Amino acid sequence: MIGSYTRFAFFCGALSVAALCASERLRTHAAPNRSSVEVRGITFNRDIAPVVIRTCAPCHHPGEAGPFSLLTYGDVKSHARQIADVTQKRIMPPWLPEPGEWKFTDDLHLTPEEIALFQKWVEAGMPEGVPAILPPVPHFNPGWHLGEPDLILHADSSFEVPASGSDVYWNFIFRLPLEKTRWVKAIEIRPGERRLVHHANLIVDRSQSSRRQEKSPGSGFPGMELEIESEAFDPDGHFLFWKPGTIPEPEPQGMALRLDPGNDLVLNAHLQPSGKAEKIRPAIGIYFTAEAATKFPLLLQLENDRKLDIPAGDENFLVTDEFILPQDVSLLAIYPHAHYLCRDMLAQAKFPGGETKTLLHISRWDLNWQAVFRYVAPVNLPAGTMVSMRYRYDNSAANPANPNTPPKRVLAGNRASDEMAHLWLQVLPQSPAGETQDPRRVLQEAIARHHVENNPSDFEAHYNLAAMLQARGELAQSITHYQRALALRPGDATVENSLGSAFFAAGELPQAIAHFSIAVQARDSYFDPHYNLGLALATSGQFPQAIEQFRAAVKLRPQDADAEANLGGALAANGETQEAIVHLRRALELNPQLALARENLETLLRDTSKP
Amino acid sequence: MLSKIARTSRIFCGVALIVLGASQNFPAFPFPSQSATDLDGKAADPFKASQGKITVLIFVRTDCPISNRYAPLLRQLSETYGGNAKFWLIYPDKKTTAQEIREHLAQYNYKISALRDSERVLVKRANATITPEAAVFDPQGRLLYHGRIDNWYEDAGRARPAATTHELQSAVEAAISGKPVPLASANAVGCYISDLE
Repeated sequence: MIGSYTRFAFFCGALSVAALCASERLRTHAAPNRSSVEVRGITFNRDIAPVVIRTCAPCHHPGEAGPFSLLTYGDVKSHARQIADVTQKRIMPPWLPEPGEWKFTDDLHLTPEEIALFQKWVEAGMPEGVPAILPPVPHFNPGWHLGEPDLILHADSSFEVPASGSDVYWNFIFRLPLEKTRWVKAIEIRPGERRLVHHANLIVDRSQSSRRQEKSPGSGFPGMELEIESEAFDPDGHFLFWKPGTIPEPEPQGMALRLDPGNDLVLNAHLQPSGKAEKIRPAIGIYFTAEAATKFPLLLQLENDRKLDIPAGDENFLVTDEFILPQDVSLLAIYPHAHYLCRDMLAQAKFPGGETKTLLHISRWDLNWQAVFRYVAPVNLPAGTMVSMRYRYDNSAANPANPNTPPKRVLAGNRASDEMAHLWLQVLPQSPAGETQDPRRVLQEAIARHHVENNPSDFEAHYNLAAMLQARGELAQSITHYQRALALRPGDATVENSLGSAFFAAGELPQAIAHFSIAVQARDSYFDPHYNLGLALATSGQFPQAIEQFRAAVKLRPQDADAEANLGGALAANGETQEAIVHLRRALELNPQLALARENLETLLRDTSKP
Repeated sequence: MLSKIARTSRIFCGVALIVLGASQNFPAFPFPSQSATDLDGKAADPFKASQGKITVLIFVRTDCPISNRYAPLLRQLSETYGGNAKFWLIYPDKKTTAQEIREHLAQYNYKISALRDSERVLVKRANATITPEAAVFDPQGRLLYHGRIDNWYEDAGRARPAATTHELQSAVEAAISGKPVPLASANAVGCYISDLE
């Protein structure tokens, strides 16, 4: 009479965000092709304006992040030497990747010829040229780029960025008012005063786990990196990233993002004080589609934080990781992540034939300009390809971004003064012919195993591997890895609950009840273990105790049809028929598809109508 | 009346411009004299007005993000050393009106007197090339130091988490105590004054 599946969480290593990592001496580029720029007089209208409009104006216009506009001759002239200087040093436009085999969308890289144009133009006295050939200034939409969103959410409260001090990381939780599952084709992030926001990541929190960090509901919370739990096997597949000048792109056909009732969106924002105290209150606009997803990308993470133990003064500290793909994937986008000390990042693919190609190379990492880089065309990586990352860190005093003066030993961690070595790949796994299993599971299990091997004390890796094994029915192995996760975080409510559910699935009810009980005690406001403990108690015939747990579950989530149905079932089994009917009816109101609840209700109504 | 003022003597200008300053309706008046002016358009000499104190000029620009991020530090330095050093904010951009400067001062909570330097008289005297750039003068008006405020910015767009050297503060402290300044100049990072008309 009881619906018999348990609930357990998956951990999503939330996309991390970070701080500032600074400059290396500028690389000298090949001498610009001077003949091409000297044959004719350089003018603003003909030569400079097209480059400025393409690469500067998207941020340098009113309302955007650029601190001044670069739209007209006058605008550009009043910053001409500065532009010549920062373009030559490749500080502007901000674009981290070196040119390579595969092109990225929205590439802002200037060619050596374009950089030379600015130099020559300043030397020539900044001539304006013939107005007739001036390209039109593009119209920048001050409102929502994709039209009026279907749903607009404002942060519950604003956050005041102080006038001075170092960079600030703040998280805003958007509670989605959804009544049913919706598919999302695009989300536009409007971070508020754009001059303060260096970048922001939006993360789907399917289990409201971030709410535990808020001091009061809606207050938001500080922190550079997030750890988010996910209720079921549902790995993150989308980068929801904002940086200045971003125009939101709808997700590719068939790759809509699912949002369910009760989901939260967490905006993790990197903020920089401007000299005056300013409040920001971000908003997001969501565009729905009727088309459910048919393709499921996955965010694959290479990392080797365990190797991060950088001695003070070490200017050439290397961290690497490599992973062999168990199946064919299409690589859609790439997102490298480290904090202040990183200088150089290299991501490569070694193909099964032996050829090695560079997926991404950043020779002057600068956290201020971190971004998700999307390939213009997907990069096909066949099974057996080894993807690798190689990051170089500089913990010497010569690294101006070094957070410590004098330099100190630096380890991995979530704070801005700690380091990270992460590389995220957005891949679309291809199912082998005849394979019916979700292709993401194979990849997820392989990467979780890889992380466990890399770092036997990686809590998240053990946990996720256990969850994957549990989902595949490999219960004994699953229990082992949950236990190892638990050894790393003793008493953790989420792990206790999941371990209980693995024991439950293995038919070991006393063990299951023991672990669910610990989870309930560890975090009384946690729905899942109440529900699961109710289920385990009911299964072992302890109906009064089960009723108590289901009541607690219903109180925590009044809209949960399963909890209502099981409360009704347990009450019926305990002979409390009238109340059982009330809860079964309520369950069917919430979800008319609950066949077991309907069956139970019909049986009860038939029995009570008998004399 | 305006064209008359342009031809008259400086003293008379000053008098006339007090009237002008009192009237809120006039647009910014292009003052032709070879001196800096206050926000009412009067000729102003910060060295005289500093009255025996150290004179500190800070060259800024309303649309320079690096200048603006220094506002809290500049406020703090001018309060700390105000007894011995008179701080001035100098706006070299001709196009920035007195009203825009007043709004800028209010927005960034500056408590420092502001001057316009459309003719670059003070820019030349301080050898300033960048906003933000500081210049420290002794009570006799001799230039002791000019250059960056500190080393917060390594380059435009590349800031350290916090400055590790504090050139302006060191120069002011040395000047107040009558000792030689540690450095005569240090390259500033920010926006070029020569980009302005």
